Amino acid sequence: MPGVTPGVRDRNESAWLLPNDGSRTNHRLRRCMRRFADTDEIDLVIVGCGAGGSVLLQRLARAGWRVAALDAGPFWDPDADWVSDEAGSHRLYWTEPRVIDGTDPVPMGSNNSGRGVGGSMVHYAGYTPRFHPSDFVTRTADGVGADWPFGYAELRPYYEQIEQELPVAGDHWPWGDPHRYPYRPHPVGGNGEIFLRGARAAGVEARVGPVAITNGRFGNRPHCIYRGFCLQGCKVNAKASPLITHVPDALAHGAEVRADAMVTRIAIDAETGRALGVHYVRDGKERFQRAAMVAVAGYSIETPRLLLNSACPRFPDGVGNDFDQVGRYLMVQGAPQTAGRFDAEVRMYKAPPPEVSSEQFYETDPGRGARRGFSIQTVSPLPITWAEHVAAQGHWGGALREYMSDYVHWATLGALCEFLPLPGNRVTLAAEKDRLGLPVAQFAYSQCGNDRALATAAQSVMEDILHGAGADEVITIQRYAHLVGGARMARDQRSGVVDQFGRSFAVPNLYITDGSVLPTQGAANPALTIMAVAARAAGHLAAGARGGSGR
Amino acid sequence: MTGQPGRYEGQQSDRRPRFPGFDVLGQAGHWDRVTRDLVTGRMDPPKGGFFTGGETACARALLNLLTGQEDDPRIPVLEMVDARLEAGETDGWRYADMPEDGQAWRDTLAYLDADAAQRCGTTFAAAAEKDQLALIQAVHDLKSGDWHGLNAAHVWSLWTRYACTALYAHPVAWNEIGFPGPAYPRGYKNAGAGRLEPFEVRDARPSGDPVREGA
Repeated sequence: MPGVTPGVRDRNESAWLLPNDGSRTNHRLRRCMRRFADTDEIDLVIVGCGAGGSVLLQRLARAGWRVAALDAGPFWDPDADWVSDEAGSHRLYWTEPRVIDGTDPVPMGSNNSGRGVGGSMVHYAGYTPRFHPSDFVTRTADGVGADWPFGYAELRPYYEQIEQELPVAGDHWPWGDPHRYPYRPHPVGGNGEIFLRGARAAGVEARVGPVAITNGRFGNRPHCIYRGFCLQGCKVNAKASPLITHVPDALAHGAEVRADAMVTRIAIDAETGRALGVHYVRDGKERFQRAAMVAVAGYSIETPRLLLNSACPRFPDGVGNDFDQVGRYLMVQGAPQTAGRFDAEVRMYKAPPPEVSSEQFYETDPGRGARRGFSIQTVSPLPITWAEHVAAQGHWGGALREYMSDYVHWATLGALCEFLPLPGNRVTLAAEKDRLGLPVAQFAYSQCGNDRALATAAQSVMEDILHGAGADEVITIQRYAHLVGGARMARDQRSGVVDQFGRSFAVPNLYITDGSVLPTQGAANPALTIMAVAARAAGHLAAGARGGSGR
Repeated sequence: MTGQPGRYEGQQSDRRPRFPGFDVLGQAGHWDRVTRDLVTGRMDPPKGGFFTGGETACARALLNLLTGQEDDPRIPVLEMVDARLEAGETDGWRYADMPEDGQAWRDTLAYLDADAAQRCGTTFAAAAEKDQLALIQAVHDLKSGDWHGLNAAHVWSLWTRYACTALYAHPVAWNEIGFPGPAYPRGYKNAGAGRLEPFEVRDARPSGDPVREGA
């Protein structure tokens, strides 16, 4: 029987620590949270409380470490802080200034950048596919990208753990390393129906899931209510984010989450070259948290920015940047979205946007003329986002309004194309400064020919599926999705920033435990992999690397 | 499909709405309090203070034309954009070749006035509607070309992002497109193609694809 995996509550009680009275936040747990003094040298301070930081926090609190996570944003309360509204969810996104550049600049904010405890998983769609085994060896197998310093088999147990803790619902998964999910697939709405019907007609295999949305109760988390606002923060507590999947258990085991604390610099001892703690700003005051070990988990833009902004006499070009690796190989997936028009009312907003996927095109296909591949998933843009699709066709004014009045008739699919890691796609510091006087991140991004070929192929498959379902018109918008890389894992310091456990090559007691360490991105949404990689690093630390002594 | 810039030819006739009687705000009693306060507040947005007097007139004309409101400006797009700029609520990024959003708005409104002065010797706000529409279309048609030293596509992106975000945050715009707005804590019980909730209204013109009709 699918359902709660035996033993999961014994290792992560988060879902049982949430209230069961219809409210969504355990205020008592937060009020009674342990609080460390700045002068207290704690075992580990974590910068950023999202997918990577929260898992590390929870695992090490369980192992008895004295650990705190500092987050620049708020400690969200879904009842009071989140709204069932698209424009009103503005505060969920990281909207501090950033500059985008390159021949194919990548918009940030709502597209890929979270804010506050829970990180980007607060507003991700909820898809949680695994990477395929091939993603770990793209250099060897396909001659592109990079090989990871470890293989899929070493990550698999962590994938299984996290899938149980989120928990994930979906069909039996036939692609990559075939596997099952702990919860049954959700019923699908109009958009999912059309994908499944069109895929059958076009000869494409599709499956329902995998989504980290509860199907049935999980602890005190209720069943999904299919309201379609997954990208605006789940007010139901049905969609998983670390705010409800790992932070409650961490607090119950003595961890501190220090919200509204913007870390500005990692302090490095000039003599020993070791990290001493972090400078941060809270309530307008500059403060310093001492720690025996620092883990950075600020995601692919803010993590490199923090390393670069932490330049000091020992590291004049930024911490860990002796070989000019910090900020490089930053990846985004090409994410064209193709919509089809049906006389039937699809009303794609009535269900979670993540419903159905296909990974049939994930691997290299010699007939495609490009290395690596793409996946196809349902996406269900709400009106403001849908207006971007319509405006991208050149419509404005009265024409835009007329075209928009057709909203209920459209179904939308999105592709995730594995765009390759390139050294020139990177974060540097801009001349512009933020409100704290810190240089902001400048992200340059340019596609290569392989990238463009994959996006074209993906669009063609999506058009086939929608036509197969009976669409009389299709439109496509070019977009990007997700971020990974920027401080990648490698076998040595000349080709990356950290080792296979996220430990900095340059600073023995500095770790990076977020999506920025990924050497490749596959054609999968990255959240599950970021959590699994952080859980693996946490296992290594808990087994004896406290204080950076183990190697 | 358009007879003139920013116009849909069918728009001239007095069409009945596609979702007759559909009233999003009529369901506000089913929404959670935080969301209800936010959305109902949009019916009467607070006066922003970002734009100066001359900028306000120019921005109002531009935004009403971009959102098809020249005849019936029921949705306070100018006020919503003004309040947003005053609060500094950006999208969290800017193109490297653009100033920050607030300055970019001021600069581009000034450039529109300059274009209007050259074309018809007036400010943009005082120009005839057909001239205003042509001036806007000219910026769109430049694509990535140069417009007063800026990449016109980046200007177009700025204008339409702010305009569309305000327009489709408004319940009156949701009524037009059949979208019921907030859905917590009620959720949906009848998902699937062709299925409606009791409070949804069926499209009165289901084959009314504006593109196909206008083709």
